[in-house]
Amino acid sequence: MLKDSTAIKWSFVGPVLALLIAFNVFPLCWNIVLSFTDADLSGGDWQWVRGRWYGRIFSGAEAGPQYALFASALRTTALFTILAVAIELLFGFILALALKDRFRGKTAVLTVLLVPMMLSPAVIGLFWSHILNGNHGILNQLLHGLGLPQPQWLTDPGWKFAAMLMVDVWMWTPFMMLISLAGLNAIPPHLYEAAEIDRASRWTVFRRITLPLCAPLLMLAVLLRATDALKQFDLVMSMTGPNDASTQTLSALLYQVMFQGGKVGLGSAYACVVLVVVIALATVFTRYLDWLAAKQGRA
Amino acid sequence: MIALRWLAIAGYLALAAAPLLWLGITSLQTQEQALATSAGAFTPTVEAYGRLGEAYAGSSSTFLDYLLSSVVIGVLSTVASVALGTCCAYGFSRFRIPGAKDWLFFILSTRFMPPLAVVAPVLIMYRQFDLPNTYLGLIALYTVFNLSLAVWLMKGFIDEIPKAFEEAALVDGYSRLQAFWRIIVPQARTGMAVTAVFCLISAWNEFGFAMTLNNKHGTTVPVYFAGLQGNINGVPWPQVAAGVLIFVVPIIVFTVLVRQHLLRGVTFGTIKQ
Amino acid sequence: MAKWIAVIAVITVIALIVWISVRDNMAPQQAPDRPATPAKQALTIWWAQWDPAVGLQELGKDFERETGVAVTVQQIPWSTYQDQVFLNFGNKQTDFDIVVGDSQWIGRGASKGLYLDLSDWAKASVKLAELNATALKYLCEYPTGSGKLFALPCETDAVAFAYRKDWFADATEQAAFKAKHNRDLAPPQTWEEFRDVAAFFTRPEQKRYGCALLTGRGYDSLVMGFQNLFWAFGGSWGDAATFATEGHVNSPGAVAALGFMKELVALSPPGGADMDYGKVMEVFRNGSVAMSMDYVAFFPGLSKDMGDKVGYFAMPAKDGKRAISLGGQGFSVSSKVAPAQQELAKRFIAWFLQKNVQEQWITKPAGFTANQAILVSPEFRAKTPYNGPLADSMDHLQDFWNVPVYNELLSAAQRLIGEAIDGKSEPKAALDALAKEHAVILKDAGLAK
Repeated sequence: MLKDSTAIKWSFVGPVLALLIAFNVFPLCWNIVLSFTDADLSGGDWQWVRGRWYGRIFSGAEAGPQYALFASALRTTALFTILAVAIELLFGFILALALKDRFRGKTAVLTVLLVPMMLSPAVIGLFWSHILNGNHGILNQLLHGLGLPQPQWLTDPGWKFAAMLMVDVWMWTPFMMLISLAGLNAIPPHLYEAAEIDRASRWTVFRRITLPLCAPLLMLAVLLRATDALKQFDLVMSMTGPNDASTQTLSALLYQVMFQGGKVGLGSAYACVVLVVVIALATVFTRYLDWLAAKQGRA
Repeated sequence: MIALRWLAIAGYLALAAAPLLWLGITSLQTQEQALATSAGAFTPTVEAYGRLGEAYAGSSSTFLDYLLSSVVIGVLSTVASVALGTCCAYGFSRFRIPGAKDWLFFILSTRFMPPLAVVAPVLIMYRQFDLPNTYLGLIALYTVFNLSLAVWLMKGFIDEIPKAFEEAALVDGYSRLQAFWRIIVPQARTGMAVTAVFCLISAWNEFGFAMTLNNKHGTTVPVYFAGLQGNINGVPWPQVAAGVLIFVVPIIVFTVLVRQHLLRGVTFGTIKQ
Repeated sequence: MAKWIAVIAVITVIALIVWISVRDNMAPQQAPDRPATPAKQALTIWWAQWDPAVGLQELGKDFERETGVAVTVQQIPWSTYQDQVFLNFGNKQTDFDIVVGDSQWIGRGASKGLYLDLSDWAKASVKLAELNATALKYLCEYPTGSGKLFALPCETDAVAFAYRKDWFADATEQAAFKAKHNRDLAPPQTWEEFRDVAAFFTRPEQKRYGCALLTGRGYDSLVMGFQNLFWAFGGSWGDAATFATEGHVNSPGAVAALGFMKELVALSPPGGADMDYGKVMEVFRNGSVAMSMDYVAFFPGLSKDMGDKVGYFAMPAKDGKRAISLGGQGFSVSSKVAPAQQELAKRFIAWFLQKNVQEQWITKPAGFTANQAILVSPEFRAKTPYNGPLADSMDHLQDFWNVPVYNELLSAAQRLIGEAIDGKSEPKAALDALAKEHAVILKDAGLAK
């Protein structure tokens, strides 16, 4: 390979890195600075308040009931992420098992199944709120016709979270299915043939061959989906609004504090705590990617 | 076992498609029918589609204006993302960049950031340059936020192009830039198209930044729909359904076009089929 | 890892330096005087997306004809109106010269110097005596009762009820009601009568229900709906002088009001526990409900669509006491535009408040005047079926806190009252918690001890 000058190298890579730093790192650092002030979104004089916001965040409810909202938003987001990913993984994997083999119209079926995950959550969430409406929504009308109980999806506090979860599962199960399919199709058929010769039971085949060989890709899918689910904002905004206690995720809380309350200082402190969590997860993710690549012999 | 399998497929197909079908049906109703507590047979009408050209309840723009904004912002930011991303991916793929692994990790990590966590500083930054509520502001932001996707996807594609071609060209006296332009870019055409589709979909669907930065001018469709809630005349469901369908059709078309590469696209290029 | 921390530290320091140098741009300042342009003079007004804004725009054209100043009314969706207005105030210069703001915003706008102080100018240029005193007090003054004006009334509004006149007029219904309650089926005057009528019309098997109240959890619907019962039954948000909340927010009357509201919500359609201004109209329009509570500004569209099927009545009373949530917005002038624009703005407001213009204003849908003489005139009442109830409501209007921290007080009230409505907490417990939380917020804001 010819030696390339540093100038050439950096002219290819430099602009992108500079832009990313300007738009990602700079705001991050600015967030850190802001979190030590009491700046307001409408402008005006601000002052340094040092550790006030962090102190209140970590004392939680003792500092005032509104600070307990952070803990509850954390809980809601974590619960949402865990449940959404688990359910999507389960359904997606089962679907992939069903779709594994070739059949007529497989491509068409797959394409239809994959459409929900390509839609804008904010837009489709609005339409879902029409479907789930307690008064005129079609879902409850169907349930009524079938003689089944009709939960108040968007107004009953117990059901709002479930409704949001349901729409997310509807949207992202195809994602898990797609990746599970890739995993299942990557298993060399001769392993199955060998198991058949050994007359292994279906369950043993599944437990000893299918699952372990799929596991790495499934883990990847879980990590990808989890990092996305943590950002959940669009569905909350379009289905229940940001101020709803049952569905207020971290992003929704940030919106409420920063844009409705105008408290940029407190919001930035929240954002910094959130970002620490996100960075930790990103590190786990890339370490895992490295491990995966090494295992598959790609350097 | 086979029957169970078909049951699962048919069942899920119905579940996946039903809301979309209802979207189509609602777009052919009148507002009264959409609000009826007992849905019944009705005569379809395309009134809702016609109304999309009118401004609804005091808005100064029609749905089509917002669609135009989405198109302009989406297309321009995609072109920029793909162009920049391809150059950067080429650099990481072919050159030895010090700290490449760290840089690539950094690029990936930008995707994990919740937009709301960064939006306040970005807004303050933008205010200095009068960028809120402009096309340029949102285009720049989307370009940068899709760069991580573009770089990772294109790196995967470029890695697959054998180095032999370029090396031959370099030996023949071409400069790096010429080798890039004449050899890599044509070969990476498919990759660039696929990347473009995913960048476009990401920009098309984006809501968080669009709502906080461009809520007055250059407003995109997702923000428009969100703003319809709480409208004094009620949400015009047939028009919303019609608008959503029109908004979603390009996505469906693109999904079909890149169906071979869907796996790669949604997993950031980390999994190839 | 250490490498990364070092990098971030360096960039944070740079960010700090940049921040300090641009901080002055964040403070509100007078926008620089622009040289007088020979181009046409223009005024921009921001209002929410609804019928009254259309009416205002039409009047704006009249203003242009008289003075040559072009007036543009920009309509912002209700759901983000508050957020967008205050977001815009953060720019170096606002996109609007006048904002027609909610009464609650006055404290925030005034104390942060975003609204121009209109007191002196108004006393000289506007006939304040002609305006309804309650409207002036709640829509325009900050602090309330101080006489300092930061807004002037644009549209005054109140919460009232729309009811299905055709259902009430039906002979079979009348006979059945009379047999059951020994009085005529008519718009209720007291809350107890209201409950009887609502229960009478609640027939789930026919998909019909008695009432739809304002219970939305978004911006402020629930509080605006609850206040009508809260005040009438004997609750109050706090002592005006000491800002004490204990014993006011959770007085026995207040607790009874919340319990009563829960009973009424049980008589509303599915989803009735969370209905905002649009949804209560939606369920009224599709024939699910006999009586819907909403701001009168939403009624013109209803009458237009439903004609004789709909009638209106003012808020019922409890033991003779009527208390009604104030609505409406006032014109406030932005402090972040050029002084020349501010003068134009004041000119428009003065012109608007003249009696002859107000007489035009009331011909526009939901153009509700604050001019006292017009309000009490028989012509006004006769103009539309909802003008009467509105005029009757004017003397009973009260408002929520308008202090700068109203947003936090509102959020807390929405959340805790919502929990009681949902059955997650008992009314007494919910209001006790609210009194405490309000006390903390007011103390933090330096208002209470």
